[in-house]
Amino acid sequence: MDKENLKFVIVGHIDHGKSTLIGRLLYDTDSLPKGKIEEIEQICKSLGKDIEFGYVMDHLEEERDQGITIDTAQIFFNTTKRNYVIIDAPGHVEFIKNMISGASQAEAAVLIVDVDEGVKEQTKRHAYILGMLGLDQVIVVINKMDMVGYERGKFETVKKELLDFLSGINIKPSYIVPISAKEGDLIAGKNENMDWYQGPDFLQALDSFRVKESAKDKPLRFVVQDVYNFDKRIIAGRVESGIIRKGDKIKILPSGEETTVKSVEEFLKNVTEAEAGKSTGIITEDKLFIDRGDVIVHDRDVPVLTNHIRANIFWMDNTPYNKGDTLWFRCATQDVACEIEKISRVINSSTLDLIAEDADEIKNREVADIIIKTDKPVVVENFNTIEELGRFVLRTDDTLAGGIITELVQ
Amino acid sequence: MITVLAIDALEYTLVEKFDCNNLKQKYYGKTNISEFSEPRTMVLWSSFMTGKNMEKEILAKGDKDMWNTKLDIKDTFFDQFENPKIIDLPGFSYITDQHDQERKLLKEFFDAQSEEEKGQVRVDYNNLAFEHHRKIKEEFIDVLEADHDFILGYFSVADVIGHLNFGNRTMMKMIYKDLDEIAGSMKNQFIVLSDHGMEQIGIFGDHSNYGFWSTDFKDLGNPGITDFAKIIKEMR
Repeated sequence: MDKENLKFVIVGHIDHGKSTLIGRLLYDTDSLPKGKIEEIEQICKSLGKDIEFGYVMDHLEEERDQGITIDTAQIFFNTTKRNYVIIDAPGHVEFIKNMISGASQAEAAVLIVDVDEGVKEQTKRHAYILGMLGLDQVIVVINKMDMVGYERGKFETVKKELLDFLSGINIKPSYIVPISAKEGDLIAGKNENMDWYQGPDFLQALDSFRVKESAKDKPLRFVVQDVYNFDKRIIAGRVESGIIRKGDKIKILPSGEETTVKSVEEFLKNVTEAEAGKSTGIITEDKLFIDRGDVIVHDRDVPVLTNHIRANIFWMDNTPYNKGDTLWFRCATQDVACEIEKISRVINSSTLDLIAEDADEIKNREVADIIIKTDKPVVVENFNTIEELGRFVLRTDDTLAGGIITELVQ
Repeated sequence: MITVLAIDALEYTLVEKFDCNNLKQKYYGKTNISEFSEPRTMVLWSSFMTGKNMEKEILAKGDKDMWNTKLDIKDTFFDQFENPKIIDLPGFSYITDQHDQERKLLKEFFDAQSEEEKGQVRVDYNNLAFEHHRKIKEEFIDVLEADHDFILGYFSVADVIGHLNFGNRTMMKMIYKDLDEIAGSMKNQFIVLSDHGMEQIGIFGDHSNYGFWSTDFKDLGNPGITDFAKIIKEMR
């Protein structure tokens, strides 16, 4: 039987050892192509140095650029328990975009902190995003313990500083593990230098996490990506939640027209249903006007159509938002013009200080509690109910902000 | 004390790509070597130390003999200093045996008939270049502590390794980061200068038609390599 997969992200300040941790994980789980690690080791030796695992990432990026690796943003390894996928974002802006736009779909997160440098601004910002997205499977690794002589006191100081911050943003890490990615301490079994630590090592902690439950038991939300007119008229899209079956009575939103699923289409396969997470095609009994951005639901479980949304957003563009500016609101394949009607609160994502209430602008790296007014009604959900329709981005030509929906305003 | 990190084939675009902030210093840019017909190592370093275009003179020696060039200190700006130390610089204190051996192995590589033979020559070639780099680095770090008013350390590793491995980005990054570390360990004012850069041709590398410079005291714009004799003399 195939082993299950768990996707996770590693976040933290730029020099705190993310690349080294990834390199070390791939090395300790024997997931690197034969010969490559030996070459890196040899060059390090030639330069009079110990092996630096961070260069494994350079090798992977090199492969990516040469098109050898098919998936451009994922790194794979496995333990005896399951397969893991590290979702790699090259910079923190990309990370935030990926996390909020849902490209990442991470089920767990690892927050890495350099024991010598402690908690930095970027650490806090990344942690803030994890909190906003409600990720509840978080491992904090306090790295570079070798640089401080594996001293417990240093670990406890950084641990306390971080926990103080995390408690303010509703993150309770499942584990806080002191590690040395460089030396391999407490990564995959080895613990010769920190006998004062009694908890699981990094991979044991990761193995204890659960794989995200499928959204198939939730109400049906099939978002339309395109409509193809071949010899039959196929409506292509993705089942974000629930299950769509042949014979289901469905409603098309926002038009509200109703019909029945005539068939579920999958290339070279005879299927009668498609469940959450699946991109598929359907044919309907009636030839209705259906377009990209429409959402298909069961007639027995119709969501609210609204043009007023309360949300938390993270602004990530150098140009501030000024009240009255028009933006595009994108949620799944829905793309409509909008403006921010009310900026209730603006918060500094690093210090968590309240910057302003009932504000007129939102600046780069600020978090805001806002009310959005869209030009047309959209099918959205509270992020805690159906995550896939509860996250969105605000954009012009570029993505300017990402956010999650906290309330549908009637 | 004035120090020059003379790095053969340090490529501007890679210094930027690999975020080598110590090599970049406060001001950095490309040097203009368009007055030379080709970016030749011996011609460029000879022109640097004399402050004049030495192309005609060096090429007159022929392809083989040019590598034996040893200019008199009186013909160079090093003469302006009381106790200069110049390590391995082509045209002045070049360690000819070492570099002859590198060129011999490079030729053997391209003459080799089988991939297996090429692979072995590549290993020998890389080992030779890295071993030399370690020695030069050690010597350079030692002389920084000694009583010199001018020090120039010539590092050939980016050029020598680059010729056979420039397409191996991980290897090149490791070399650039090592050179960046050397720049990071400098305590006094220094100039970083390369004769030319390098461009990728498959897995190999060939000289590009501009060099690299950096300082932490002045934006030099787009200087010629012959301008540095005057710039350094003025720094005294």
